[in-house]
Amino acid sequence: MLQTKGLALEVRLSAYIDGELGENERTELDALLARDEEARTLLDKLKSGSAFGSGAFENFLHDPVPLALVRQIKQGPGINPKTERVTTASLPRRSTRIWPRILAASTALFLLGGAAGFILGSATDLAEPTHEADQRPWMDDIVGSHRVYSRQKEHLVEVPAAQSAEIERWLAASVGVNFTVPDLDRKGLTFEGARLLVANGKPAAQLVYRDRDAEVFTISFLQQGDGQQPDAFIETIRGDLGLVSWHREGASFAMIGPSSDPALHDLAETAAAAI
Amino acid sequence: MRPAAEMKDFRRDLVSLLPKLRRFAMTLTRNASDADDLVQEACERAIARSHLWNGDGRLESWVYAMTRNLWVDEIRKRKVRSGSAAAVFELDQLNVEATAEKAVYVNQVQKMILSMPEGLASVFLLVNVEGHSYRETAEILGIPVGTVMSRLSTARLRLAAMLSESTERRA
Repeated sequence: MLQTKGLALEVRLSAYIDGELGENERTELDALLARDEEARTLLDKLKSGSAFGSGAFENFLHDPVPLALVRQIKQGPGINPKTERVTTASLPRRSTRIWPRILAASTALFLLGGAAGFILGSATDLAEPTHEADQRPWMDDIVGSHRVYSRQKEHLVEVPAAQSAEIERWLAASVGVNFTVPDLDRKGLTFEGARLLVANGKPAAQLVYRDRDAEVFTISFLQQGDGQQPDAFIETIRGDLGLVSWHREGASFAMIGPSSDPALHDLAETAAAAI
Repeated sequence: MRPAAEMKDFRRDLVSLLPKLRRFAMTLTRNASDADDLVQEACERAIARSHLWNGDGRLESWVYAMTRNLWVDEIRKRKVRSGSAAAVFELDQLNVEATAEKAVYVNQVQKMILSMPEGLASVFLLVNVEGHSYRETAEILGIPVGTVMSRLSTARLRLAAMLSESTERRA
């Protein structure tokens, strides 16, 4: 425990608030506070500053974290977040680095210009790090569906969660994959209902969930053998969406949610165990 | 080198830590763009040195200390570039112009927090908001425990004054 005797009273009372004092000093300050109104006023002031500051610091947690940084950490090498900044200004860098960067940027612009026709005709997002397994056409379709339907706040699902038994019967028959709607309540996701989609020309099921912040998460699956290893979870990011896909017993599955959600992989593992 | 599964867990933990790490960085840099760059550099370094993280204690303390060291280095570089010989923590007053440029990124209360003299917000955050002990805070920030104590009480009194001013203005 700390010794604060001889220090300013506000310093001692501050340590008193934090429980950093030994029993003797605490007793001494208790006695002082009991008899001295100025000391009590000072303690109240310190406490009000603590409460005000704590509330203010909460707001910082609501600021968006740069998406490129999340991507870089989750996916490791292969992406340069400095080219994908959400925010703008950067720390001053050593001048020796500037010219190589300008040269590299010029070369990149030249190559991009030359390839513009190809790029415009392609659906591939060059800024995105893509995994080979993520190139499958059905993925494109379910990501597109997720993007479109997750914005339909009033018509998020085709069949609501209240009809879970009907959803299981209907989609199992339509898609050809027997399943149980995973209960992800303990993971903070509420089941909202389901849709039937078309992915790569085949029927696909989409189970829709919402978290406490109303962010939409979906689990999509369809019948197919695409060569993916059983139980191998592959995590990729497409723009603002994160995907975790896996394959089991002749069916391919994918969990989609905000790419900034660090728990997406865990959610997918939980869903895979329950579905 | 860490096994792949452990490395994945480390990366996941780091992503989970990002909002708090960014908040801590804001208390050091006091503007959003520098904070984002600092967080990025800190994460790069943490991943590169993840083999040194033994899993004991709080990951955030380890990353915070790394972040603080990077910022001290950056401040030193800036001083060399600008020709200033002032010590790192002698800059007691906020660079109001620089902060004003970034005002669009922060709300009024955040601006008040960031306007506190250097060193106060970090100590307040670590002890009062995140519950680190005085000793842990001193280790993270590389300062004596006595300095933690004096900065903390000063921060609390300044925040109380801000609250009072804010209340009077609204009345």
